Amino acid sequence: MIRLNNVTRLYGEGTGGVRALDGVTLELPAGAFVTIVGTSGSGKTTLLNIIGGLDTSYSGEVEVDGWKLMELNDRGLSEYRRRTVGFVFQHFHLLEHFDSLHNVALPALFGNEDDASARRRAAELLEMVGLGDKLHRRPSELSGGQKQRVAIARALFHRPKILLADEPTGNLDTRTGGQIIELFEALNRQGLTVVVVTHEQFLFKHHSHFVRLEDGRIVESKQP
Amino acid sequence: MKTRALFSLVLTNLRRNLRHMMLASVGVVVGICSFVFFLALGQGVRHTVATRIFPLEANRLEVVPRTAQLGAPSGRVLDQEAVEELGSLPGVRAAYPVMKLQFLATAALDGRSISPAAIELLSHMPGINPAMIEAVKNLRLWLEIMAEGIDPRLVQKDVVAGDFVDPPEGQPIPVLLSRRMVEIYNASFARERGLPRVSENVLAFLPSVSITLNHSFISRAVSGPSEERRMKIVGLSNYALMGGVSMPLETVKRLNRRFVGEEAARTYRAVILEVTDSSKLAPVQERVRALGFDIEMRERQLAESVGLLISVVTAGFSLISLVIVGLAALSIAHIFFMLIAERRAEIGLLRALGASRADIRALVLNEAALVGAAGGLAGVAVGLLLCTGLDFLLVRSLPDFPFKPDSFFLYPWWLVPLAVAFAVAFCLVGALLPARRAATLDPARAILGR
Repeated sequence: MIRLNNVTRLYGEGTGGVRALDGVTLELPAGAFVTIVGTSGSGKTTLLNIIGGLDTSYSGEVEVDGWKLMELNDRGLSEYRRRTVGFVFQHFHLLEHFDSLHNVALPALFGNEDDASARRRAAELLEMVGLGDKLHRRPSELSGGQKQRVAIARALFHRPKILLADEPTGNLDTRTGGQIIELFEALNRQGLTVVVVTHEQFLFKHHSHFVRLEDGRIVESKQP
Repeated sequence: MKTRALFSLVLTNLRRNLRHMMLASVGVVVGICSFVFFLALGQGVRHTVATRIFPLEANRLEVVPRTAQLGAPSGRVLDQEAVEELGSLPGVRAAYPVMKLQFLATAALDGRSISPAAIELLSHMPGINPAMIEAVKNLRLWLEIMAEGIDPRLVQKDVVAGDFVDPPEGQPIPVLLSRRMVEIYNASFARERGLPRVSENVLAFLPSVSITLNHSFISRAVSGPSEERRMKIVGLSNYALMGGVSMPLETVKRLNRRFVGEEAARTYRAVILEVTDSSKLAPVQERVRALGFDIEMRERQLAESVGLLISVVTAGFSLISLVIVGLAALSIAHIFFMLIAERRAEIGLLRALGASRADIRALVLNEAALVGAAGGLAGVAVGLLLCTGLDFLLVRSLPDFPFKPDSFFLYPWWLVPLAVAFAVAFCLVGALLPARRAATLDPARAILGR
């Protein structure tokens, strides 16, 4: 369950300040596939960052899977991110000096897995996203779609309950983007809550929830 | 973050940024190298001063009669009763009396009169060459001799070529020479005149020297008959009289009694007290003064002054070295600020994956510590190489001079850990602000590289 109550996020102060989010109230059930759309600057990424515990400079209340984010200190937020959410970014953010296996196992640095089990888990995840034969390829040796699959595997490493994807198909061609969406849908069918921020709404046909933002406000919200 | 994971990530990051890190550590290497150099040099010079120029034993002190001062009575005479009283003070392990030879004496060494057997023996001395034998044969030496008697127990370990006891009539008197005097002779007189150097190894080969008791070349204040004796050098000692010879105490007593009188055989010039441990020095000194005696402090004070001077100079140079390391720390700070700016997105990613601020801070600080440790070790290695090379050159190329050390450098066990600890500490200080900045980056913005 993701619940936001009257969340406002301001950038800057006074008359020059910008309301990235303006009194957003939202409730999303566990296991949902949520698509958040909007034009550039509408507040989509800010909303995703707040749900993911990366942005804490807001007013209002945010509760995710029982975690009251506004009450958590830095250590608590780190633990929340480690246990509850997985991030997928438009630009993949893979570490160039690590191969696929190490990139996927990166979250193990902050967990309790030993090296061997972390490597085993990373290999399983890469197998699951269809890259079982590319464990030791570096990001520079992978296509855009493959990089995003590695990033998805990394996001799934510590078995999150919610996958947060910010423009995950933004750097991919339509066909490859479609494959990534199919992967998200498959993960959602296994019970993972998926929240995707995109401006390519047409790609996401099977979403269960739909939210449209404009100027920091929810202007349209649909549930199945 | 787990320690092993942290270390692995730190190593990976250092490998990635090897060029930057090497650049950052150049200053550390230079600073630590000079730190090691100056500290080892200071320790070496201090060691030479402490062991060869002012060889003081920390648990011994010299008691002398109190000097008469205007309006104040002079102190007590150092006689046998005083020696026993001093020896029984709490904290005193032993009392060793020293008696001055109270009459004049001369020594003469004429190379022509050295027997062929002695010359043959001399030729077997280590390091001797025919030119030296010739120089010895041409030697003409007449000296006014000062002498004093010392307790054989005090110098037992210094006696290497015979016994240091009062000899029977007709036998050579065993004498000890001052190590410092021999050092000056070896490094100047012997070198200039092509004479053999004197050391413990050659004492057995040296001929005995003629000594004339109750005789002077320059003073008329000699009365009574003089007496010809011979003396044999049996050892070198830090307790021997500088600019003279030291004989067994009983010999000097006997000679004083014969040539001056009973009173001269009962009065000591000084008493050396050995205390049970150096912490007893202060209370023993107080008790000695209370008994009406003084403590001879000139040599100790001089040694302490020289030691202090060496410490100040060493500290000055070490400080300069640490300033260099401090400047290196600024360079470390600059490079880490730059690296953190380059790695903003990566730091943001680590935060998104669950890293706390403390994890990021630890990551940066550990990278700096490792740069410091590597730079410190490299600096120590370069410094030690420099010291060894320079030491080799100095010892080989510098001409002999008094108290020339066998090595100009000394490497105490704590030198390497101290140098590396300084390097690590300075690098950590340099990385504090960058680490703080990295830890406080807004992860949401950092991940976008903003």
